[in-house]
This record gives sequence, structure tokens and C-alpha cells, in this order.
Amino acid sequence: MRKLIAFIRSVYVAVLFVILEVLAVSYYAHSSSYTQARLLARSNQVIGGVHGFFAGVRRYLFLGRENRDLAQRVALLEEQLAQYREAETAERLDSYVRNLGESRYRFTTAVVVGNTLNRAQNLLTLNRGLLNGVEEEMAVLAPDGALVGYVVACTDRYSVAMSVLNTSFRTSGRIADSEYSGSIYWDGTDPNTVILGELSKYAEPQPGQEVVTAGFSRYFPADVLIGWVESAQLNETKTAYTVRVRLAAEMSRLNEVILVADRDRYEIRKLQESEQVEQHTRVN
Amino acid sequence: MPRIFPYLGLFVSAVLLQIFLFDNLSISVYLNPLVYIVFIAMIPLDARPVTLLGAGLLLGVTMDFAMGAAGINTIATLPIAFFRTYLAGMACGRENVREGGIPSPERLGHRKFVEYLLLLTILHHTVFFLLEALSWGHIFHTVLRIAVSTVVSTAFIWIIARIFTAKLPGRI
Repeated sequence: MRKLIAFIRSVYVAVLFVILEVLAVSYYAHSSSYTQARLLARSNQVIGGVHGFFAGVRRYLFLGRENRDLAQRVALLEEQLAQYREAETAERLDSYVRNLGESRYRFTTAVVVGNTLNRAQNLLTLNRGLLNGVEEEMAVLAPDGALVGYVVACTDRYSVAMSVLNTSFRTSGRIADSEYSGSIYWDGTDPNTVILGELSKYAEPQPGQEVVTAGFSRYFPADVLIGWVESAQLNETKTAYTVRVRLAAEMSRLNEVILVADRDRYEIRKLQESEQVEQHTRVN
Repeated sequence: MPRIFPYLGLFVSAVLLQIFLFDNLSISVYLNPLVYIVFIAMIPLDARPVTLLGAGLLLGVTMDFAMGAAGINTIATLPIAFFRTYLAGMACGRENVREGGIPSPERLGHRKFVEYLLLLTILHHTVFFLLEALSWGHIFHTVLRIAVSTVVSTAFIWIIARIFTAKLPGRI
């Protein structure tokens, strides 16, 4: 008997091991994915919170990449949006001048994409160019028809106009309803006023009188509104007035502009060229 | 039962490390380190066989529960708990085992300590991965998984064991 107990004592661990192992194996053998899933679900009740915490940490670590992806996506969408906006703007601009018919003046429109006021030589950049029918020497007017400047350079898709607020800008202007004219220029001081200089002393300008372009300008049609007389001053020799003219166009709030081309001018020029050609051929 | 708290801490940290770190290392199908058996490896050499077996059962069941594996961890952990005494004897000699104490490089020697860990890990991983595959069809694949995972597991177990033994007072 004592021997039996000693034997059992010596092997009971092995027996226990075998029993446990058999139990585990049989449980494993009888398990299905369903059992495992149920087991996992049960254990997740306990460790799910910790899992969630670690998932949160990992998500936090990947935030940078996620952000980058999002930013890329945003950039892509912004680009598409910009394309749509551009198309919409072009459509709107074209609709202004549609069905106007033929006239001496050809109109087109553009959006001001660049505009300076704080320099002595201020220029406007417009979003239309040669491809849209914009040419050099076209007049640039504000939407209400007030004088803004004229186009000095064109590329295929953009053009640059000299603003009236440019000390190189010159044109001729006159007091409305009178024959007296002078030259319009900017003295580079106040972006709201220009100077009508060399106005005859007989003109007697009164504050509030309209100033318009004279007809013989190279760039502008006649009677384009420039502004209103603000103050007038006789010069030292008392032969001419220097008039300060408040601009009609609000240069700082310029968004869309009208471009005007004089068809006749092109025709005249073409004519001159053809005469030259004719002369040339006669010489030969 | 002295030193219950260090072992409780080791058990908890081994299980947590396995669940939340190593089970999430989806680097390769061949790399599936099972480091939780460091708990079995660190039990004092003179522990009673039934204690060892109980520890193995507890660890296996806990891991099965946590990983949602129906028994596979228990099946793999029980043999290393049961055979640990023989494996330790194989690796470092019966005198060392009889002397008792916590297995550590200082006590067993660096080389023998690694051998001891390696033997335990090989046994555990072989049972585990064979059972997981349950087929001889992809035996090469399975052997490769066992080999790669064993090497990596042993390395991590060694690190954890170093930390554990370093924390304990020198008298043990």
C-alpha cells in the first residue's frame, strides 16, 4: 500500500500533465471558428478597453500621414474648383458682350488679376490676352464706362494695361460740353485724382463739371468719362489752368473691366500698310 | 511562497506584452514571436513539478482566453512546464537544477542560459505551430515559421529575463 502511494506520488504530476493535455487537445479539437470567435468576444470585454487605447495611440501616430493625404486631396479638389471657377468667369465675361452686333468699337471684358496703386508706375494685369482678342492699345474702362487705362502688352492668355495712375500715362481730356481741352496725367500723389493740365484760361472750370476724353486720342473713344473737376488753379503766367480731377473709376476696387478696340483704327492702319506695299511694288 | 509579487508582475507584463505588442507585429507570416513563456522560464529551478504545471496551465488558459485561441496555447505551454526540469538539466546540468534559484545568466552561465531558453522556446513553438498548421502538407513552411519565430522569441525572452533578474536582489 505504501508502495502504491509512493508510486502515485512519484507520477501524479505526469498523470496530471497527461490529463490536462488531453483535456486541452480535446477542447481544441472540438473547437470551431465559432467557439474561438465567442472566446475572443468574451475576452474582448476584458481587454477591449486596452485594445481601444492602443488603437487610439496608433491612430494618433498615423495622424501625420493621414493629414498629408488629406492635404493632397484638398489641393486636388482646390485645383478642380479653380478650374470650374475659371470656366465660370470666362462664361460670364463672354456673356456681357454677346449679341452686341458690329460697331466701330469692339468690346471685350476681362478680370483684373493684378493691380497696384502704391507706385509711380502702376500697371493692371488682366486675365485675357491675344487668344481672347485683346490687343495692344485697347482702351480699358471700368464697368460703368469710366477711364482706367490702356493695354500696353499682351501674351496669349494675359495682358498688362497701363493704369491712369501711372506717371507715364498721357491722354487728352476736355471739360464736357465745351471745346476746351488739355492733357490728362497723374502727378503720382493721390490715387483718387488726376491732373488736367494746360487747360485754356478761357475754359473757366467749375468744381463738379465732368471731364471726358477728347476725340483725338490714340487709345480712347471720344466722351469717355474721366472724372469731375475738384479744383482749378491758374498757373503762374495766368495762361492756363491746372485742374485736379477726381477720378470716376474707383481704382482700388477694380475687379472687372471693359476693353475697347477701335476697328477703324486697325482698318486705317491696314490701309496705310497696303499703300506702302503698293508703293513698294511700284518702286520695284 | 516568497517573491510572489515579482512573479505576479512578470506574469501580467508577459501576458500584456504578448497581447498588445507581439501579437500586433504583423511584419511577416513567418514572424510570430510568443514571448509569454518567459514566465515559465523564470520560475525557480527548484520549484515543485506540480507548481510548474499549475503555472503552465494558468498561463496557457490566460493566453487562450486573451487570444481567443481554443486551447492551443495551453497545449503548447503544458509540455514546457512539465518538461522544463529535464530541459534545464539537459542545458545546464543536474547539479545546477538541484541547487535551485531563479535561472539567470549569472547562475547558469551566459551560454547555458541561452541554450536553456532556446530549448524551451523550440519545444513550445514546435508544438504551437504544428498544431496551428495541423497538416504535414506545408511542413517546410511550418518549419521555417518555427525557426524564425524561435530565434526572435528567444532574443526577446532573453531581454525580458535580463530585466527580470536584474530587478531581483542578488541573494537569490
